[in-house]
Formats: sequence, structure tokens, C-alpha cells
Amino acid sequence: MAGVLQRETPKAGAEAVGHARPRHPRRSRSHVAVFVAPFFVVFALFFLAPIGYAVYQSFFKLTSSGLGLTEPTLDFAGLDNYTAALTSPAFLGSIGRVLLFSLIEVPVMVVCALTLALLLDSARARFRAFFRVSFFLPYGVPGVIASLLWGFLYVPQTSPLVDALALVGLPHDFLGPGTILLAIANISTWQFAGYNMLVLIAGLQAIPQELYEAARVDGATEIRIAWHVKIPLVRAPLVLITVFTLIGTLQLFVEPLVLKPLTTAISSDYTPNLAAYNQAFAQSNIHLASAEATLIAIMSFVISFGFLRLVNRKGKRAW
Amino acid sequence: MGSKIPRTARLAVIVTMTAALGLAAACGGGAATEPAKNQASGDPASPVTVKFWSWVPNIQKAVDAFNASHPGIKVDLETITAGPDGGYAKMLAGVKAGNAPDVAQVGYDSLPSFLVNGALEDITQYAGDKASTFVDWQWQTGVFGGKVYAIPQASGPMGLYYRKDLFDKWGIEAPKTWDDFAAAAATIRKKDKDAYISTFAANQAPWLISLAQQAGQGWFSTENDAWKVTIDNPDTRRVAEYWQKMLDGKLVKTEADMSNAWYRDLQTGSIVGWIGGSWGDAIIRGNAPKTSGKWAVAPIPQWPGADKFTSASWAGGSSSAVLKGTKHAAEATTFAVWLNSAPESVNILLSAGYGWPSIKDTSQIANLQKDDTVFPFYGGQNIWDVFKEADAAVDSDWRWPPVSDALYASITDNAKAAVQGEGTLVDAFAKTQQAMVEQLKAKGLNVTTGG
Repeated sequence: MAGVLQRETPKAGAEAVGHARPRHPRRSRSHVAVFVAPFFVVFALFFLAPIGYAVYQSFFKLTSSGLGLTEPTLDFAGLDNYTAALTSPAFLGSIGRVLLFSLIEVPVMVVCALTLALLLDSARARFRAFFRVSFFLPYGVPGVIASLLWGFLYVPQTSPLVDALALVGLPHDFLGPGTILLAIANISTWQFAGYNMLVLIAGLQAIPQELYEAARVDGATEIRIAWHVKIPLVRAPLVLITVFTLIGTLQLFVEPLVLKPLTTAISSDYTPNLAAYNQAFAQSNIHLASAEATLIAIMSFVISFGFLRLVNRKGKRAW
Repeated sequence: MGSKIPRTARLAVIVTMTAALGLAAACGGGAATEPAKNQASGDPASPVTVKFWSWVPNIQKAVDAFNASHPGIKVDLETITAGPDGGYAKMLAGVKAGNAPDVAQVGYDSLPSFLVNGALEDITQYAGDKASTFVDWQWQTGVFGGKVYAIPQASGPMGLYYRKDLFDKWGIEAPKTWDDFAAAAATIRKKDKDAYISTFAANQAPWLISLAQQAGQGWFSTENDAWKVTIDNPDTRRVAEYWQKMLDGKLVKTEADMSNAWYRDLQTGSIVGWIGGSWGDAIIRGNAPKTSGKWAVAPIPQWPGADKFTSASWAGGSSSAVLKGTKHAAEATTFAVWLNSAPESVNILLSAGYGWPSIKDTSQIANLQKDDTVFPFYGGQNIWDVFKEADAAVDSDWRWPPVSDALYASITDNAKAAVQGEGTLVDAFAKTQQAMVEQLKAKGLNVTTGG
């Protein structure tokens, strides 16, 4: 019961502070300002300002005339860049592609991370520390390196994996148009499942032992404990990793960028982020790139907050 | 210690002042409109600093040689990422912000983009008389509307690299025409189930473009006040149909060139040929060193019925462009001309693997006469003879569009789709034409089409 009591305390504490606040002298507010100012200054300079500038840029475009031998002019374009992005089949296709990718990757990721966490948390687990570190290790590999590494395993000429699969007659084309998305999903699952597992393990360790004891007294097996006790109690971290994964998949970039030279299945606007990158750095159209980036941000925002609303309805607030 | 700091500061002030004076002097010289400014060499006592951005490996050696022989001009090299990988974005941003270099490495294919972005300086008055030094088609890439904006550096004339030992073993002659090439491809498939004559590199826009360039009709031109787009033309369609047949018959691989898979295939003899630029010799030597002595280079196969030998150049080539906003256009031009035409410099750049020289007279370039690292790899063949002939046979009417980055992205995306079986290569070029027309229109430029 101690754990249950602890869970209640923060709320009670917050209320207490809330009541106490008016009694604090005004001077403490300036103290607060001094301590939070560095954060807000840096936040404004390196977060809000660039975003604001990108949004501002997205309303302009460079216009040349005739043959373009004279210097181009920068004109206010209203929503032209947004219209251009949203009517471009390639950009819309890239959005559809990451939505499909999310649909595959999010459940796979959550199930993988949860399974690993439950296995390590089960009473019979051995060498926990070793496995925890091993599962977490891929997270320490930078995304580019991870993609290069898997790239070598996907290319027939350099891959022992492809040879082995071909030998036993299993499908082994990782870089075809139908399989490349799964190949990318594999890389990101490999990389992030261990990290998400750690988040869940932290949640699992906060569950008081008394609950398990009570369940065992009632005759519950390990599997039933996992299903009826553990999973409902890690709902909050589960929602958290789902949102992380959602945002991550919508912003898919590194894996397709690194794999692009290895396959004919990845185009220069394969994902929305790749399309914006291509506009900004290959085609020097920072205005269209800014509009695309803004659209990606809005999309991630709407989808992740939409998901939170969905899971938090009926007063069951996850976090 | 106390006196040291002021002294340094004083020195700094003096240096700054002399530099400022030098600058004023240079400006004064310019205003005097003497013909001497053609040979701007600066004042050795207060050298003018010329900023130079490039990504060519080892170009520092050439810059050092220039600085040693030109006491009046001091060139500061900054090595940047290659143009298409962000270097151009950096240059254009620099021009906008007013801190661009005086001279920059710009590919022939990107000069029109730079011009449309207002990023090039007119250097006609300093370089106008240099045209005869350079190969005509290369010189023309830096000339727009009769004005000179860039000094050509190097090109990548195309040739056919092939495994002579295997061709001999299989009884195949180096293909002279594209029909021979297709026949050779089929023979190779029969002789060795793992070997292909080459890959169809859908990832490589410059390669695809050079194949079309060699076939005849160009893709872009200007007509009155408008850009004329003619990608979907009979000659290019012939190229597309040819390679579509090669793909359908599975006579070529479809992997990316210059990828790990491709390097491995070169090493193992799974790919026995490559239609590549003159600088490609270093790529083969570097990545398949154990095949030394087994390669040879033949001229690029010709289209049946061509009235004269024609070649093409991989992405055109690269130039030294003088960027807008420079305060030392005369000195910048002096450097750009020297860098790309002085035999000493050309020799250095050639051994750095930068491509085929842009100068007409290559008799002074020692490495083109005899090269003990290159020739033995090709069984003693002087492969430069092949590329010299190829460079002279590049069409000088070919024009790049002011949207070549978009062209590259569009053509690779469409060619990749065709390789995946979504439409044909003919469709791919037609779709690319459509995309280019839209790109140019979106920039506000006048566009017409033809074919």
C-alpha cells in the first residue's frame, strides 16, 4: 500500500503549494525569473526564433523573369508555397508513405519493447544486467552508422545474410520497392526498441511488490500477472513510447537518406523530411522547404496530440 | 609580458591599415581603366587577399604554387563540401550575406543556376582575351549573353573502361557502336552467368544525361526571351529505348554505380565495363587494385550512322567562377586563369584526379605524356589519348538549365521508377521534361518546349 500512497502524494503536494502560493512575498518571483531566464533566452534564440524565421520564409518566393539573367526578386507569396507542397503528388506521396510506415512501425516497436521489458522483469529472468545492456546497446550506435551497418547487410554483394537466406530459399531482397519500408522499420526497431524497453522497465520497477504477492496469493501465473497487473500499470510509459515512436516515424530521415544510394526504391522525396531537405540543400528553394517543414511540424503536432487526446479521454489521464 | 600585447595590437593596426591602403590602391587602379588591369598582379608590398572555396583534393598545392609566384596576390583556400552536397548552398548564402569568397569551384552544370541567382560577377574585361587558351566547348560554359563569368577548369570526357583480359578470353572486341555494345553484353551473359558488361546507373543523373548528350540533340536552349526544353526529343528517345531493351533483356545490372556493391563487382569481375568520365580511372584503380594491368579504355560506342565521332562530358565539368560582391575581380580572375591554365598548376590538379584539363595545348602537361601510376594499370595503354580525342568531340552547343539540381533529382527519381517497372525509360525522360517546365515556370522564367 505504501506505493499507492506515494502515487497520491504528488497531487496532494501540488494542491498544498497552490494554496500556499499567495502567501509568498513578491520578491521570490524575481528569484524565479533569474533562474529560468537562461533557459528562456536560449529557448527563444535557438528554438523559437529559427522556427519563426522558417515560418516567415515560407511566405516568400524568389521570382526571376524572362531568361533569368537579371537578379531575382523576393516577393511575398502568401500561401503559394503551401499550395505547391500540398498539390505536389511527390510530397503527398511521401506523407502517405510515412503514415503507412507509422502504422507498421509503432505497433511493432511497442510490442517489441514491451516483450523485452516484461521478459527482463519476470521473476525467472537470469543475467538481467547483461541482457539489459545488450538490448540497450544499439541505441548507442548513431543512426547514420546503424543505417550503414544494415546497408551492408542488405546489399547482396556484401551481405552474408542475403547469401544465407538465398541458400535456404527464403525471400532475400531487402532493397526492392515492396520491402524497403520493412527494411527501414527493421533498422529503427533494432535501434530504439532497447531504449523504449528501458523506459518501460523503469515503469515496471515502480510497481510495488505487494501487488504481485497479492496476485500470487490469488493463484495468478506469471503471464496473468503480466497481463492483468504489469501492463495496466505501465500504461503511462506505454503511451509515452508510443508518442515518441509516432513522432520519430513521421520524421523519418536518416535511414532512407543513407540507404538511398543502395537502392532504386528510394527517391529524393521519399519521406516529407527528405523532400524538405532536397528542396533546401539540393534545389536551393528554402522557401518551399520552409513551407514543407512547417507542414511536417503541424502534422506531427496534430497526430501526436490527437493520439494523446484519444488515450486520455474519459478522465483516464496517462501523462 | 605587459608590453607584448600592445605591440601585437599595434602590429595588427598597422597590418589592417596597409591592407586598407592596398585595397584603396587596387580600387584606384581599377578606376583608372588602364589596359594593365588585364594582368592584375597586385602590389607585393601589400598583397591583395583573394578568398577561394573549393573541394578539389590537394588543390592547396596549386594555391601554394600561385602564392609563391604571385607576391602581389595572396590566395586563401577554404576547403568546403562538394557543391551538390551543400557547397553551392553555402556559396549562394554567402553571396546573399555579403561574405562570399572571391573565387569558387562551380560545376558547368550549376553556372546557370548561379547566374539566375545573381551570384556571378562579369569578368569579361579581365578575361575576355583568354578564350583561345581553352578548349572551346569548355570555355563556352562560362559565357552567357556574350559575357564571361567563369574560367573553365576541367571536364570529364567519356570513354569505355573494360576488362581487356576477359574480353580477349571471351573473344569479344571492344564495341565500336552501341549495337556492338548490346551484342557484347549478350555474349558476356552467355559466357559467364555472373558477369555483366555494365550496370545501368539510374542513380547517376550526370551519367544518364551524358548518354543523351552524346546521342545528339540537346536538352536546353534559349529562344528569344525564353528557355526551350527539349528533353523528350527523338535522339534522347533513341537512347531511352536502347537502354530499356538492355534492361528488358537483363543484359545489364541495375545497381548504383560508385556504390559498395558496384566496387565489389568490379573486384570480382561481375561487372566488366563502365562508360565513365576521364577521372574514372582513379576510381577503378582505387577500388579494384588487384585487377591492375587487366583493364583498357576504348572510345565511347557510337550511334550507327553518326557522321562524325561524338562524345560527351560527365556533368560537363568544373570551373573557377568569380562570385558577385568581390572587391578584387581583377586579381580573382588572374588567379582563376593561372590555376586552370599554367602547366605547373594543371599538372598538380591532374595528379589530384580533378578531371580532364580545360586548356587546348596539353603538350606541356608532363603527366599526360607518361604516367607510371596510371598507364601500367591499363596494360601500358596511354589512356589519355582516348580522352583527348573524346574531349575534342564534345558538342559545344549543349546548355545546362538554371535548375540542374532539380533536373538531377527528377531524372534519377524517374529513371529509378522505370527500373522498378513503373513505366519505361522513354516515359521517364518525358516526365522529366514536364517537371523541368514546371520548375522553370515556378521560378517565373519564360519557357517553351520542343522535341
